[in-house]
Amino acid sequence: MSVLDIAKGMGVTLSHLFKKPVTVSYPEQKVDIKARFRGRHHLLRHPNGLEKCIGCSLCAAACPAYCIYVEAAENDPANPTSPGERYAKIYEINMLRCIFCGFCEEACPTGAVVLGHEFELADFKYKDFTYGKDDMLVGTVGSKWQRREADRLEKPVELGFKAGQRVELEGVDY
Amino acid sequence: MKVKVNDVELDLEPGTSAIDAVFAAGYDVPYFCSQEYMSPIGACRMCLGKVGAPRKDRETNDWIRDAETGEPQIFYFPNLMATCTTAIMDGMVIDTLSKEVRQAQSGMMEFHLINHPLDCPVCDKGGACELQDRAYEYGAGTSRFEFDKRHQEKHHALSELITLDRERCIHCKRCVRYFEEVPGDEVLDFIERGGHTYIGTVDEGLPSYFTGNITDICPVGALLDATSRFRGRNWEYDHTRTVSLDDASGAAIMVDARTGRIERVKGARNTQVNLDWIDDSTRFGHEYVDAPDRLKTPLIRKGALLEPASWEEAAQFIASRLAVAGKRVGVAVRSDATLEEGVAAKALAEHLRGHAEHFPRPAASVIAENPATFTDVATSDAIFVVGDPTEEVPTLDLRIKDALRGVAPPELLAHGVPIADLRLKERMPRKRSILTVAAPYRTNLMRHAGQELIYPAGQEEDLFGGVGSGKAGASLAAEQLNQLKSALSDAKKPVIILGAFVLASAAATRAAEALAESVGAKVMKLGPMANSYGLEALEVTSDGGYADLLTQSDVLILSNLNPAQDVQIGERLRNLDLLIVHDSFETETTGLAHVVLPAKTGYEKEGTVVNLEGRFLNVYPAPVDSGTSEDFIGVVRTLGEALGVRLDGRSVRSARRSLAKTLNHDLAALPEEGLLAPVDAKEIGETVADTVAGNLLLTSSLLKVDRLRRNPKLRAAHGDVALRVNPADAEAQNLEAGANVTVNIGGVARSATIKITEDAPEGLMLLPATFDQALGLTSAEIVPAADLVSA
Ligand code: SF4
Ligand code: SF4
Ligand code: SF4
Ligand code: FES
Repeated sequence: MSVLDIAKGMGVTLSHLFKKPVTVSYPEQKVDIKARFRGRHHLLRHPNGLEKCIGCSLCAAACPAYCIYVEAAENDPANPTSPGERYAKIYEINMLRCIFCGFCEEACPTGAVVLGHEFELADFKYKDFTYGKDDMLVGTVGSKWQRREADRLEKPVELGFKAGQRVELEGVDY
Repeated sequence: MKVKVNDVELDLEPGTSAIDAVFAAGYDVPYFCSQEYMSPIGACRMCLGKVGAPRKDRETNDWIRDAETGEPQIFYFPNLMATCTTAIMDGMVIDTLSKEVRQAQSGMMEFHLINHPLDCPVCDKGGACELQDRAYEYGAGTSRFEFDKRHQEKHHALSELITLDRERCIHCKRCVRYFEEVPGDEVLDFIERGGHTYIGTVDEGLPSYFTGNITDICPVGALLDATSRFRGRNWEYDHTRTVSLDDASGAAIMVDARTGRIERVKGARNTQVNLDWIDDSTRFGHEYVDAPDRLKTPLIRKGALLEPASWEEAAQFIASRLAVAGKRVGVAVRSDATLEEGVAAKALAEHLRGHAEHFPRPAASVIAENPATFTDVATSDAIFVVGDPTEEVPTLDLRIKDALRGVAPPELLAHGVPIADLRLKERMPRKRSILTVAAPYRTNLMRHAGQELIYPAGQEEDLFGGVGSGKAGASLAAEQLNQLKSALSDAKKPVIILGAFVLASAAATRAAEALAESVGAKVMKLGPMANSYGLEALEVTSDGGYADLLTQSDVLILSNLNPAQDVQIGERLRNLDLLIVHDSFETETTGLAHVVLPAKTGYEKEGTVVNLEGRFLNVYPAPVDSGTSEDFIGVVRTLGEALGVRLDGRSVRSARRSLAKTLNHDLAALPEEGLLAPVDAKEIGETVADTVAGNLLLTSSLLKVDRLRRNPKLRAAHGDVALRVNPADAEAQNLEAGANVTVNIGGVARSATIKITEDAPEGLMLLPATFDQALGLTSAEIVPAADLVSA
């Protein structure tokens, strides 16, 4: 190692001293998240209000962490939950096991499950990491814990990020 | 015959189909319409291959040879051939790999997909679909069809048990052929023509006991099991190949469970027993397993109430009371208990110096002297049935119909059962004359028989005597019986099948065996339950039988039995020192018990059963959530621990060690076809005075009466428990069709719905028996159900 190399290295360090710091003082300040960031899943609806999910379980088949459980049932033709014959009666994702790889989104034939931007999923009990349909259908904002806190404080959920828009997230508004 | 498939040379029997040659050579062609054990018809045109053969010169009688090489010249058929309907010829060359063939196959695939909906994600066949797999392997990958697809009905309920999606049907005709060829009930057909063709029926529902098999063979998701609709995807099920414990045939089944529930049961292949077919009760009768009132923990009596407890508490409770010496102990298991459970029951009884027994057990032995196998039946040229196999052992019903086609079960090839057996044809003439069915009433099988003999119930001995001596007997003319005798003696492979009504009488069974010996016939005895044969062979029997055990014990340990269904017996059981009942549900008997232990059902056990041929078959447990339920082995293990002894049969392994000594077979991991090892017949029991009078015949039933209440879907399809009454009797007794009545048989009160039918002879009503009722003649009193309510 020559003196020149050391000088080069120190040069890099020194040059950063004069740049604007990237540190964000979360949670006071909101994190800026890229549009393609993969956070908590959303279950989307068609514009007519019907759920996009048809309960086909392909996401569960694609999931490398085996963290999705789907139980399907037959739609009541008079009052359908989703278009067609079949809908997801139970749709659960265990967020502790999920590695946010996005394979489920890739596998979904109807674009029903899409990874959103929410990342503040910390909680206290194992069972609270199992997210059901109610926790993921569009319109639900925040993690389970955030919603519990919001309920307690009687304030709306406040998410800790600013997100870029992503077309796949039809109907999701942060 | 020498054939060449691509680069593989084979030597096959003449008559083999070209498609089987291809598979035997280890190559593959796509196919949808051919199906093992059914006729090939060449409907789907997927199995195309380039087929050619050498030709002989008429004059020289030598092969026409290639001028250059001197080898026999191959003359190819002008078009590609459907290999399933082409028989092999000497020197045949089959090509399945060339571009021409592949292109034709992918072209056919495109045609199949033109009108096929893109339903895979919501289709219950997805993941196990022949069309999906073949489209992936042989299809073009993209569609050129830009127009509207055909639209037809999407969820048409063919019956309560089967849904049909007409858009998905590819018109392979498997289902239509199945009904005509296998059970012989023609209930489905194509309606309309061309692109409008659809599968349909003119009947109400599907009037057959064997409808579920079409959901197994439909290559697409057109015909689906309605009971498991949308319950899970094919890759999500835990598949357990096991044996059905619903009847004595030992039919192979595949139990598909998910998250601790049995979602569906499918037929599995046992080439020696049920081929691929199972009856609807075996397929759809599992719903009771997940019934909400299933017992999941032991119960201990505290005063008038039974309270939940742990197994340890239950065992301590029992041990403290069993310690008292000098008690007469009885242990009884139901006859579908496994051999291993039988060992456990015997060991427990022996340790407590008591008796072990199994029930139901007919008066006569169920082990035949010269036993027939299912293959013997299917290849027989004279079959004499006394009884009702359709209800007793449904698999046998189908194997008898195999014999009527006159085509022996196919030889296995390198890839297994031939895919296209060219000996089988659509609408084959049936050799009805080889089948004679005798029963006290009109049975289902009689529709297929050359000769039907309806004799007065209870006169089975006379019937066999009559056939043997050629004299009139059992109210049947001498001529008819003589004809039967000569048919049996002239036949090369006669088989006599003895149903429950024969076995109920030792004298009749003796007469039947005498007849069989005189005409050289093999005998098949239809034991009442899945392991009747095995438990008898293991001698889980006591001298006095079950009846004595119930009356002469101070301590009773019962597994899956409900003697207190009879209030008179129930009164006696009340006075027992200790009554331990091992059952899956609460019954009249658990209501009297001191301790109730939760029992596993036949789908959850591990063990071995012996079917009516004497075939040892392994039973494997499906992953079902049944709380702390145990089989009888578990009961004996826990009791043994509490009593401080190590009993034989405390585990499956220890039971098998003991069985290896008594039966000389190692029962761990038997082959899928089982181990055919009939045991020596024993002396038929003492002749007890048979009941020869009565107005009611308790029959066996494919739909298990005790479980029907917890199987609403099966009940909806096949109706509730019916009391069948002859129209004349109904009028005389003022009984109306569809009315609910209570049938009092001794101390047993059974509810049933009246069904008026000519099937029941005059003066005799027919009622399916429960597991705890002995089959045969008895006297009953019919009370309108309404009276019971008002009283
Ligand atoms: S993101 Fe990946 S790990 Fe998470 S649920 Fe989807 S497939 Fe499974
Ligand atoms: S039948 Fe097969 S190919 Fe057709 S929709 Fe169902 S899974 Fe897909
Ligand atoms: S319903 Fe199924 S088995 Fe019947 S013809 Fe159609 S595709 Fe074939
Ligand atoms: S034509 Fe269908 S398998 Fe040959």
